Amino acid sequence: MLASFGLPWLFAVVLPFAKMRSLDPVEYEEGGEVSGVYTPKRDGRITEGSRIYGQEGCYQCHTQLIRPTYAGWDVHRDEWAGLRVSADNSEDTRRETLATDFQDEEIAHVGISRLGPDLSNFGRRIDFYLKKGEYTPEEWVLLHLYNPRGLANYLDDQRVPEKSTCPSKGGMFDEVPTYRAGDDALPLATPDGLAVVPNDRARALASYLLSLKKDTLRNPLPKALNFNPEAPQAE
Amino acid sequence: MSETHPTTETNDIELRSAIDRSLRHPVMFFFTSGALWLAVAIVFGLIASAKKHAPQFLDTFSWFDAGKIDAAHMSALIYGWGCSAAFGIIIWLMSRLSRKECTSAGIILLAGHIWHIGVLIGIVCILDGRLSSGIGLMEFPNAVWIILLFAYVLITVWSLVQFQVRDAGHVYVSQWYLLAALLWFPWIMVTAYLFVFAFDGNPLMVAAIAAWFKNGLFLLFFLPTALASAYYLAPKVTGRPVYSYNLALFGFWSLAFLGPWAGMERLMGAPIPQFLPYVGAAAMVLILVPAIAVGVNILKTILGHDDVVAQSPSLRFTVSGIVLFMVFGVLSFGLHTVTVMKMTQFSYTGYGLDILAIYGVFSLCAFGAIYFIVPRITRREWLSRRFINWHFFLSVYGVASIVICAIVGGVIQGQGMEDLSQPFATMAERSDSYGWGITLAWGFMLIANFFFCVHLLLMWARLGRRSSHPTLFQRHHSENPHGPEGEIDNIGSATA
Repeated sequence: MLASFGLPWLFAVVLPFAKMRSLDPVEYEEGGEVSGVYTPKRDGRITEGSRIYGQEGCYQCHTQLIRPTYAGWDVHRDEWAGLRVSADNSEDTRRETLATDFQDEEIAHVGISRLGPDLSNFGRRIDFYLKKGEYTPEEWVLLHLYNPRGLANYLDDQRVPEKSTCPSKGGMFDEVPTYRAGDDALPLATPDGLAVVPNDRARALASYLLSLKKDTLRNPLPKALNFNPEAPQAE
Repeated sequence: MSETHPTTETNDIELRSAIDRSLRHPVMFFFTSGALWLAVAIVFGLIASAKKHAPQFLDTFSWFDAGKIDAAHMSALIYGWGCSAAFGIIIWLMSRLSRKECTSAGIILLAGHIWHIGVLIGIVCILDGRLSSGIGLMEFPNAVWIILLFAYVLITVWSLVQFQVRDAGHVYVSQWYLLAALLWFPWIMVTAYLFVFAFDGNPLMVAAIAAWFKNGLFLLFFLPTALASAYYLAPKVTGRPVYSYNLALFGFWSLAFLGPWAGMERLMGAPIPQFLPYVGAAAMVLILVPAIAVGVNILKTILGHDDVVAQSPSLRFTVSGIVLFMVFGVLSFGLHTVTVMKMTQFSYTGYGLDILAIYGVFSLCAFGAIYFIVPRITRREWLSRRFINWHFFLSVYGVASIVICAIVGGVIQGQGMEDLSQPFATMAERSDSYGWGITLAWGFMLIANFFFCVHLLLMWARLGRRSSHPTLFQRHHSENPHGPEGEIDNIGSATA
């Protein structure tokens, strides 16, 4: 009895946990010269926002996992894994999820189902599509959280927003008299004298969502981590 | 009552009555509170499912937001109903099989209240959203886990003591399972608590261990409890010994060896040590082995007693639970291969399997046990054959509909996800109709549980029939499956 439970406990839980706790740093190596160590860059209210993401149960319908191709075709879904080369974008930034991607979070929100799209690169998608939009990325995300069915979609081939089944997070917003809202008011048509203002949780969540840029645009991968190295250039 | 002093039949009856009397309050508390939690879990399930295809439903109540309500639904089902029912079954069965009266009913009752207060705090925190842990699959706040663990020890330690001080002699198959469940539960819970909440680790391993815990709860706690009840009831009600002792041994050890490896297949493709999801998937595939072993053993035990199964509510529920365990084995076998997991990993399918496990396998066996135990501890018979019948059919059809909708819908959803020629939206829309099916099925389950809950509460209020004739599905039967008439259960062999 002790062995039947003890062995899996040791080999599937304790040792992997200890091993994953301190991952060896991966070095950038160019022509035999080490030029630095890969350090994932993230900015935004990561720890706080990630906890709110979990508390609000976003992981029930959204994943944050780009699986290697043996486990699924996530890399090839539009903008899930990063940006592909197009008229507006010269660099292919797509990549799979790495063990360092969830730094500063309490838990990796791998997710349970995909009733909504994967969010690994949600922030990247918003930046890319809202370049010439009428809203700032933060405004767009807050409007989306307030009413997912009230916005023009940023992606044509995704679900049109009226059909989105994403819940409205109205509880994270307050209706206040306009004179008290100041610059915080959302750009919404509201009844006279009233404005919709996001609370601090909504702002932290939006900041976290916009930080989801797990592609290689700002963080080029060292060769040892890059499973999709570029084809060698012809001399 | 050791071997040197063989008990007479009268002594035996007195002992059983004394055991039942000593456990009446805690066991009834666990069953009734569990049934109330089950009603809550089903209402949450209905709301959660409705919100997946009708997002504006109850839109103005932020406590019921999709996401939070899903977590509350599963937590109420697992910790409110599942654990509560399991505790009732464990403490009663262990007392009966160890032939020891319970001397600590007061403490168990108190600990039971502590458990439910813990669960209530946890659910309220999940729905409120600001105080829950935010850890998927372990959403209760940090402190609630400590409360639950503390209550668990106070509830179950007496059963371990009873087993330890039992009179020497045969250890029943049921007792292996009970003992295993009693020891596995704190082990997985303490491990999960420490690695998820106390130690600082890679967030991916935290997610993996939470997934391992969730699977462990079913395979190493709920399932053994359900099987203990089945291995007790099938021989008891039919009056025959278990078909094969060796097969029972094999079924037990195969589950014991496979169970602790399963769970991390939920993270297939995640950057954790690569063998973990594979080992988890392999264990889930091989769950078919104990499923067949147990299924064959129980079904062979009752073979030839179709009339008893048709008449006895407890046996009918138990046998359905065991059949669904075999179905679970087959589905788990088919759905955890790498090619299928590509499609089903992030779809409705996982939910379908969870519900099949907790409602289909565990709960049906637990209902069987409850229909058997309650008349014995209250000394009253169930009031209405019809209520039991409705409960049975609505539960079985309800759970079958949920599982079929979730698994078929999940596979179709997954196919769409893998088909890159289709936009993601098409996939999401495809699963909508299956979502409707699940919502409807939860509606049936709600009605089923209404009958169960009302019936159980009436029994709790000691309003059951004062009769020595058990409530069976058919009237005027010539032979009573619970033993000769005139004495509630206390005659008849307890061969397990």
